[in-house]
Amino acid sequence: MKRAAIVTGMTAVGVALVLAYKVTPHSSGLAAEATPTADPGNSQSAPSPVPSGPAPPTPAPTGATGTFTGQDVPNRFGDVQVQVLVANGRITDVKALQLPSDRAQSAYISQVAGPLLRTEALQAQNAKIDIISGATYTSLSYAQSLDSALQQAHVG
Amino acid sequence: MALHRIRDVMGMPVAVHVVCEEAKEGWLDEVYDDFVALDEVFSPFRSDSAVSRINRGELLEADSGQLVRQAMHLCRLYEQATNGYFSAWLGGTFNPSGLVKGWAIDRATSILAQKGCRNFFVDAGGDVQVRGVRDDGRPWRVGIRHPVSRDRVARVIEARDLAVATSGTYEKGDHIFDPHTQTAVSHLLSFTVIGPDILQADVYATAGFAMGDGGLAFINRVPGYEAYAIDRELMASWTSGFGQYCAPAT
Repeated sequence: MKRAAIVTGMTAVGVALVLAYKVTPHSSGLAAEATPTADPGNSQSAPSPVPSGPAPPTPAPTGATGTFTGQDVPNRFGDVQVQVLVANGRITDVKALQLPSDRAQSAYISQVAGPLLRTEALQAQNAKIDIISGATYTSLSYAQSLDSALQQAHVG
Repeated sequence: MALHRIRDVMGMPVAVHVVCEEAKEGWLDEVYDDFVALDEVFSPFRSDSAVSRINRGELLEADSGQLVRQAMHLCRLYEQATNGYFSAWLGGTFNPSGLVKGWAIDRATSILAQKGCRNFFVDAGGDVQVRGVRDDGRPWRVGIRHPVSRDRVARVIEARDLAVATSGTYEKGDHIFDPHTQTAVSHLLSFTVIGPDILQADVYATAGFAMGDGGLAFINRVPGYEAYAIDRELMASWTSGFGQYCAPAT
């Protein structure tokens, strides 16, 4: 893994996703309980509070442009493959080309990926719940495939 | 007594959990029958559904029956209310799936409420309406799935009467499109909306996700509704009133 290469020049979104898996137990922004309440009006991630009209175009710094497909990372429950679209060195989209089935994902993550995901938020919110709301995606294989796609894109 | 059932309908697992003295299995049958009935009318994957026939030009809106006309009316209303970020008319076809899911949960809620049941939840593919309390008398606990781990949660919402709907990417590929550009959007990993009504929460979750960075500001202006967003850098942001619904971190 050319992790250093990814870290250095990486201005784009998505890289934190990769790093969160492999390196940092404490750097995840999803240590949500420690994050102060974001007022969307002042949030750094919400520069455009006006919901009318299409999303503003992404500024275009120099860098790689194209579609990069990550390696197919098999795990015991199926294959995971990720594709990134990069424009001028920024990731504009990430797509999962292949994912195992839902049930397989569940088993996979609980048995394999779970213990590897160590962030404060994950530990803090290992709570008992009645119902879960949310989207899912396959964890570790996803990160690996994304990582290989980013290396091909030389985003970094 | 408590009854619990889970069944695949509309291409997703639908769970119904009922807590009341006089709960009957027949109530659950009625709920699932309604899901199936809606699916038969609205599924774009059934060639004989009204929606498929409309899209093939074989059925006019005027002849399509009360349910379809009602759905179209709701879709138009919400398209307007969300500045077009929710749309059932993408790519030249009518696909109200984004509305029908929440609508089905809402109808299930009405069915159970009309039976006199006060404590229950209906969960369709991760969108949920809770009513009343659990069998231990405490509020329901609804977790917002952590984006990198299926069996852990980013937040826990404690609620007695509340709808929780989450839109995100990677559940079934990029399935939410920005109607303005007709392309898949994924500024965010997930966008959760909570509020009194599941139909509205579900539609707003879809629209808020499509809005990306503007989604939270949009929901912040909708009275009674709050939102929680997780972006690709694994940063979480939320609307001003969201925190009051959350259980303290364990």
